[in-house]
Amino acid sequence: MNEPDLVDLIRELTSVMSVTGFTLRGTGRLYELIGDFFDEKSTDRMGNHLFVKRCGRENAPKILLDAHFDEIGMMVTSVKEGGFLTVTGIGGVDTRILQGSEVTVYGRSPDGEERRIYGVVGSTPPHLQKPGEADRNRDIKDLLIDTGLSADGLRRFAPPGTPVGFRPVFAELRNGIITGKGFDDKACGACIAAAVAGVRAEDLWGDVYFLFSNFEEDGASFGGAATGAFAIDPDVALAADVTFASSPDTKKRETCELGKGVTVTLSPMTDVRLSKLLMSLAAEKGIGVHPSVATRHTGTDAYVINKARAGIPTLDIGLPLRSMHTSAELASVSDCEALRDIVRLFITEPAFGKELENV
Amino acid sequence: MYSLLKKIVCCPGVSGREGTAADVIEGVMAPVSDSVRRDAMGNLICLVGGNAPEGSRRRIMLCAHMDEIGFMVTFIEKDGRLRVATMGGINLCAAAYSRVLFPNGTEGVIVPDAGVKPADFAAEKFSVDIGAYTAEEAGARVKIGDTCALRQELRKLGAHQVAGRPLDDRIGCAVIADVARRLSLKRAADDVYFVFSVQEEVGLRGAGTAAYGIMPDLAIAVDVTGTGDVPGAVPMEVSLGKGAAVKLRDGSVICDPDLVSDLLAVAAENGIPAQREVLVRGGTDTQSIQLTGAGCTAGAVSVPSRYIHSGTETADLRDAAACSDLLFAYLTAERPGRA
Amino acid sequence: MYKTAEFAPERPGRLLEGTELVRELSLAFGPSGSERAVTDLIAGQLYGTAERLSRDRAGNLFALYPSAAKNAPTVMICAHTDEVGFMIDDISSDGFLRFRSLGGMDPRVLCGRHVVFMGAGGPVRGVIGAKPVHLQSADERQKATKENDMYVDIGAASAEDAGRCVAVGDSGTFVSDFVLFGEGGGLMKCKALDDRLGCAAMIETLRRLVRGRRRPKANLVFAFTSREEIGNSGAVMAANRFLPDYGIVLETTAIADLPDVPENSRVADVGRGGVISIADRGTIYDAEFTRGALALAAKKGIPAQVKRYVSGGNDSRNIQRSGTGARDLVISAATRYLHSASCVASVADYASIRELLFAILTEYDFKRKEASGAGSVR
Repeated sequence: MNEPDLVDLIRELTSVMSVTGFTLRGTGRLYELIGDFFDEKSTDRMGNHLFVKRCGRENAPKILLDAHFDEIGMMVTSVKEGGFLTVTGIGGVDTRILQGSEVTVYGRSPDGEERRIYGVVGSTPPHLQKPGEADRNRDIKDLLIDTGLSADGLRRFAPPGTPVGFRPVFAELRNGIITGKGFDDKACGACIAAAVAGVRAEDLWGDVYFLFSNFEEDGASFGGAATGAFAIDPDVALAADVTFASSPDTKKRETCELGKGVTVTLSPMTDVRLSKLLMSLAAEKGIGVHPSVATRHTGTDAYVINKARAGIPTLDIGLPLRSMHTSAELASVSDCEALRDIVRLFITEPAFGKELENV
Repeated sequence: MYSLLKKIVCCPGVSGREGTAADVIEGVMAPVSDSVRRDAMGNLICLVGGNAPEGSRRRIMLCAHMDEIGFMVTFIEKDGRLRVATMGGINLCAAAYSRVLFPNGTEGVIVPDAGVKPADFAAEKFSVDIGAYTAEEAGARVKIGDTCALRQELRKLGAHQVAGRPLDDRIGCAVIADVARRLSLKRAADDVYFVFSVQEEVGLRGAGTAAYGIMPDLAIAVDVTGTGDVPGAVPMEVSLGKGAAVKLRDGSVICDPDLVSDLLAVAAENGIPAQREVLVRGGTDTQSIQLTGAGCTAGAVSVPSRYIHSGTETADLRDAAACSDLLFAYLTAERPGRA
Repeated sequence: MYKTAEFAPERPGRLLEGTELVRELSLAFGPSGSERAVTDLIAGQLYGTAERLSRDRAGNLFALYPSAAKNAPTVMICAHTDEVGFMIDDISSDGFLRFRSLGGMDPRVLCGRHVVFMGAGGPVRGVIGAKPVHLQSADERQKATKENDMYVDIGAASAEDAGRCVAVGDSGTFVSDFVLFGEGGGLMKCKALDDRLGCAAMIETLRRLVRGRRRPKANLVFAFTSREEIGNSGAVMAANRFLPDYGIVLETTAIADLPDVPENSRVADVGRGGVISIADRGTIYDAEFTRGALALAAKKGIPAQVKRYVSGGNDSRNIQRSGTGARDLVISAATRYLHSASCVASVADYASIRELLFAILTEYDFKRKEASGAGSVR
């Protein structure tokens, strides 16, 4: 199997339309990008994508790998004269970044014709502001997206309920740092797909189910992973999501460092013995890995996967990310490679399957 | 619709104590249903079977919640005053100094403790005065755990509107009961389960267990929604009197986009007034149904309403009729929804 | 899905009863996620009672006592084995441990407490340090110290030194002894009475049923569940595994039966019997089951009280809403100073709770969901 270039895959995957709740609009492009790495692919009623790679043995353990495909965005709430749209956020949108940002309105007419509409989130020039106005963030409901279209045409393609995403952007910065939108969590999805792509079926210790889930960011919270895990009923699960990397405006204790590898969550919600085994085996292989602690909610799909059905042994892995939930998220290529390598280690190392036998 | 609605609205059913409302609704549903049952949480579940061959019928769930917001008695003071907890998101400013009614007919007034300013209103600073002078006298009429609510009533307001409570969500119950009646006369292809759920107002608790027992392929919740046509409303293109609201999202769910398209297409084909609903806050049973088991295709059709959770909610009967028309047309259409 | 493994309990040194059992259980180490010492102790105390026990990787322990009747309903009796505690999330360069609490705790009960962490090599004692009062500003003396600003001092010289015995991710709990005090020694104080008291009541009730050869009318699942305090509870998994018709949760409930608290806000009183909740923040309890339990208590002369305030929540929420739903009941011990190193509960209440549980399990008319009137199909 030809292993994809990881940076290329991240760039392409993060630009696929996948606003929460509208993930099936991106299915075609998603299949082009990673479909060939797996034996089976399907979608479900929740808007989840499921990719399966078989190890070739009967009654093999089921290994669930989860990343969420959905990303934050906005939804049209009304169409105004002059071609303006009002919106509400989908997922925890950082309203500080909205003014002046470029967006794609994923329009669709009543008869199903699709049209991508370019738009700019308007701002009031400083010259026209009242004193003190710039000190406060504007509520998302008070912002307007300028499409430059006639209101009638806009109403046909972008009525209330139409999803809006950030315009894809991608760049490579110094020292192997990449930046763009939708890294949360499609960068992790790319790493998982790449991990599976580079593995021969006979080297897997179980059948690999890659759940590229919906509804992590909004809607029925973590609903895609919860229902997906119920449907798959795996023997073990590993969820990969982004985690906070340090920056000048964050506290050291709440973050990790970019470029030092991935985090493994130690918590009551995640399987301690499997997590420690993963950390020690990863360290032996020279994969950068460090512990992260959660005591209430992992904040990721791992939380709901763990309690699906009568419970599922779950691991939670984090990819350090700066400026999360903006269209300028930053990650380190070396961390992405570490995530890919640790996922590959997890699905090929039989010690994990053996550890699961101990109750 | 008005007489059906009045019957369903004017009965008590505070969250967790929906028995009386369930009895009334069961009385309406039993004649048109193939089966009627209640689950362990008290959800009323009625089936109107489809006419497609066995094995090819999908399971479709329509759900409206029958519980209403109200108060539960937690303590009886020595002077006969009742201390209460709120059940659901009650606007205490709207409730203060209103008359409340217990299912056994006991009347009372809900009042804040003297001197408490509206900004400091909280349930523990409220009590219900039922005109008793001692704990014994009060205890003979009301027990700890009993519930009361602002008076259930319904009036006409102008030509098309109704005013009263609890329209949230008895108007949804009336809509799906009407759909059931129509489907009993003209069957759908698929099996349609009508769920009148409990405990929605305290956190979408009931619909999930009902859905688990049905494991529907597709579910549509019917509830009230806010409108953008009142002073000070956030941008929202939903108005009273403009038809059934097809939900795209609310604070708890993003609806299946294909189901939304199908519902809007059916409305357009049949000339049923419909509007697209994007509700920024608030949750509905849609979420707990969607999350059940391996998940299901889920959406909602809403009755636009004003002043929700106050002592007087209003809605337009034409909108309720449009909801019934839309659901009936959708369920009896050639091929509703994705297979 | 978690596999369960059956095992035979090991014979303990001695089978404990009453406050001795509560004592040993409460002293055992078991913050959320690290319940093994508690479940091992429970398993041993069920020696000779339950021949086969089962457990899963999530820390749950199950003892089944099936009915002889066919199609009997399933009743899950549930108490949680975990206690509130701490998890190390950072070790400072000078060897102090920073932590996050496991379970909701008032930071004001933490300062100056003795704690113990379970390191790879065994327990490590420490104290939650506090800046001397002399050095606090007037403002600091007024303000509660936030959990984020607290640290555990284990006497380590450096991060490297601390790292020899503890690591990020290790869990700890309070150090506390078991004290009987008050009139006639009627009150007990310890950490973790929440919810080892419930565990003890379950152990003694199951023993009594088995010794009395009381074959139950319902299939009884005694579930000792993990991780209640952090929310992602083992009871969710237990309920999904057994899909019970009824759930009975044995808990402790936070109360304020103290001077100066108005009667309507006291919640319940220590010494007046098991507390039965009508509703709390997580659950509105089944009205019929609740009434039935209270009626049974009255008939048998077992002290019981109704909770007078809507507060708190427990695993009932998970059990009630599992599968197609379960009828649920909670019986709590009225407990002062919950989620601190010094919980206080009544010895008499413990006895009342055991009696009431036994009475319910032997006398209440449990029905299967679909067989009960509410579930009938026309």
